[in-house]
Amino acid sequence: MTLFELPVLLGIVVAMALLRLVRASLLVWVLAWWIGIYVFVSRGFATPVPASAQHIYLGIVTLALFAYVTSSGERIRSFVDPLVNFAGDGRYTLALVPVLLALPALAAYREYVNAKVPVEPPFFARTVHPSPPTEITVHDQKIDMLGGDNPLRHLEKDDPAKFAEHVARGKDIYYEQCFFCHADALGGDGMYAHGLNPAPANFIDQGVLPSFQETFFFWRIAKGGPGMPDEGAPGDSAMPEWERFLSNEQMWEVVLFLYDHTGYRPRAREVHAEGH
Amino acid sequence: MPRGTDVRAAVIAFACALGVGAASADGLAAPDLDGDAQRAAGKELYTRNCAQCHGDKGDGRGVAAPHLLPRPRDFTSGKFKIRTTPSGKLPTDQDLKHVIKVGMPYTSMPGWPQFSEEQLTSLVAYVKSFAPDFAKPENQVEGMTMPTPPPMTAESVERGKASYAELGCARCHGELGRTDGGTAPTLKDDFDHPILPADLSRPWTFRGGARREDIFRAMTTGLNGTPMPAFGEALTEEQRWDITDYIFSLGGSSESPNYATLLTARKTTGDIDLAAADTLFDEAPVAFFPIVGQIMQPGRAFHPASNGLTARAVYNDTDLAIELRWNDMRGNVSGKNAPDIAVPPVEDAGEPAAAKPAAGADDGVWGDAEETSPAGHGAAADPWGDAEAKPGDTGEKDPWAEDGGDAGAAGGGASEFSDAVALQFPVTLPTSIRKPYFLFGDKDHPVHLWFVDLAKKTPSLWLGHGSDKLENLGARDLAVASRFEKGEWRVVFKRRLRSAGALSFEERGFAPIAFSVWDGASRERGNKRGLTTWWSVYFEPAEKPSPAGPMAASALGVLVLELAFVAWARRRKRAEAV
Repeated sequence: MTLFELPVLLGIVVAMALLRLVRASLLVWVLAWWIGIYVFVSRGFATPVPASAQHIYLGIVTLALFAYVTSSGERIRSFVDPLVNFAGDGRYTLALVPVLLALPALAAYREYVNAKVPVEPPFFARTVHPSPPTEITVHDQKIDMLGGDNPLRHLEKDDPAKFAEHVARGKDIYYEQCFFCHADALGGDGMYAHGLNPAPANFIDQGVLPSFQETFFFWRIAKGGPGMPDEGAPGDSAMPEWERFLSNEQMWEVVLFLYDHTGYRPRAREVHAEGH
Repeated sequence: MPRGTDVRAAVIAFACALGVGAASADGLAAPDLDGDAQRAAGKELYTRNCAQCHGDKGDGRGVAAPHLLPRPRDFTSGKFKIRTTPSGKLPTDQDLKHVIKVGMPYTSMPGWPQFSEEQLTSLVAYVKSFAPDFAKPENQVEGMTMPTPPPMTAESVERGKASYAELGCARCHGELGRTDGGTAPTLKDDFDHPILPADLSRPWTFRGGARREDIFRAMTTGLNGTPMPAFGEALTEEQRWDITDYIFSLGGSSESPNYATLLTARKTTGDIDLAAADTLFDEAPVAFFPIVGQIMQPGRAFHPASNGLTARAVYNDTDLAIELRWNDMRGNVSGKNAPDIAVPPVEDAGEPAAAKPAAGADDGVWGDAEETSPAGHGAAADPWGDAEAKPGDTGEKDPWAEDGGDAGAAGGGASEFSDAVALQFPVTLPTSIRKPYFLFGDKDHPVHLWFVDLAKKTPSLWLGHGSDKLENLGARDLAVASRFEKGEWRVVFKRRLRSAGALSFEERGFAPIAFSVWDGASRERGNKRGLTTWWSVYFEPAEKPSPAGPMAASALGVLVLELAFVAWARRRKRAEAV
């Protein structure tokens, strides 16, 4: 939704479609793919990709294109022949000279820009939603992360009035405790979000609530930032360990509220051999 | 839905969309200006999105209210801050819609840009139904039309500065707008809640917006229900623009805070001497970091007194100095403070007073319910009660300690807790994404705090294995200078660049850095404080290499490759031709 810069994506797709229409040669296609992916990686994301990650990705793309071009003699020829024609045929000399001058100028310009790039701290990749342990203990209660379920969820069918009460309590807790960071509208842009890094989870995002079971969020709420494995950057996360403030029932109620308010459903549980 | 109501709603929506405001609704001549269907639609939106703070009855007493400062608006009062209408008058529909749409910066009122014009119209109709005043057409007046802003010039700023002094704006806002005016700690709004004067040095925190037009509107119509008066009649339009320009200039003429993520330490060849701290950082770039409340662990500060901190850093071959500046209403230099002072759990529960006004007034927003009359800010206390400054035990004297700044003179009298600040570094440089926990470290990943209690003015190094496991290691090789002046604390820490048993800094190196600020008047101590998450400090090399060398090399390299390719291509072409 807000992950990509839509105009940029659209521009790339349109450019590719045009190339398709004019039946561009392999040389043009290879260049188009490289430039297209470069633009996508450097400009296509709403949150910019770190320069070091961009370099790695473009390196892989270059290798892949190289592998493609050199995969058959025919492809090599259709890639190289236009270049040889342009450089070798005396008729093009007039056009060749500016190109010969422009490329070194570009290379020099790139060095110049590199020297001006503001320094960035060392980049370490972070797993946004790290895998939970198989079991957690919260307030002396063992929670099975895979087979477990929100103990209040069954009320949705069995006792809707009671269910609505729990949801309402979850709403109260959310607006007493959570909305400072996760925001009134659950968008993760609360009044303190600007001071936090990583940013608070955005519950409107389709990649969050529907992608996990309720036990996952119970784990994230109960154990907070410090309860994450190392790859999730537990030292940086501002998510409190809510077991220090809330009872298990209260935390399950908040989870109910998150789904109820956004209209999302938890990810269906995998059917286990011993399940029903 | 009855057809007639639809049409009427559409007419009102249209009128509002034109910016005509509610005044034109007079033409309908009925006391019911909005219609039942519209209010019903508004109620649905309100219950889902607004009631948690503003309350089901619109009285500002929703479940979230106890933790909020400023408090959510009590709609039954009919008093609204951000208006285009004259002081004391009701806002126009357009005014209300505007605030709902863009929100009020640095409060818990977010913007709701996702609402359609129709939804806004319904919501406003419902919100208005809480205050009986809105039912009478004669109460509704037309809003001002915003004039085209004249250009801001050095002269207009100068004229505005004179008006600012003449009008006595500094009495609340302070000479440089940093909320340090004499009456600032005692201000209350019409609901008897303590209220802070706007920090004019930070326009992006203005409730009504940071644009010059927004400041002009606030100057013209005032903020209803608050001590901020309207100057629409007392001052000419030109005078109001002048003062607007002066206020805008106080915030660096910027609508945005431009928060940093990186503090760049500049290398200097000179000595790093705290006695020259006034000019030491002149060449160093400024980094402004957002401060948020410590609301992660018990002892929470939902509304820390500070919302941002400015840092600068310089280093040479042997020493490092880091300067921290932040705004504070008062320099609290009596009492004590430390990172490990326990905060009683009762303070964590927020402000129960909203439900039971037993404590007199429900104002404990600056601390716990019992002890937080604004006197906690030292207004009524001995203005000369400055604690005696003690020299540090490092041999290096605080050059500012003698004159002491104006901390005492400004009335920062006796309070139980003093102001304090801390810098935080990991004990060892992390080599992966795993850093020490940003709240004073954790069991396996310790941090060091460079801490100073601004009453004692002596630095101390603390070792943190978590906020419940802090150890004071004494001053070690830290030195500090501190001064409070015109609503701003300025603290300079100095340390050897390399230190045994602590993080050593290297040219071109990076290190995680975090900050904590305690405001004594707000009873901040221990866990209850304003803080930043981890950001980075970078030790910029003295000489930035000229790009000319690499530029020439890479251009030449490319040219050689090109010529080789052309030569090869030409030879091949010739061979083909033969």
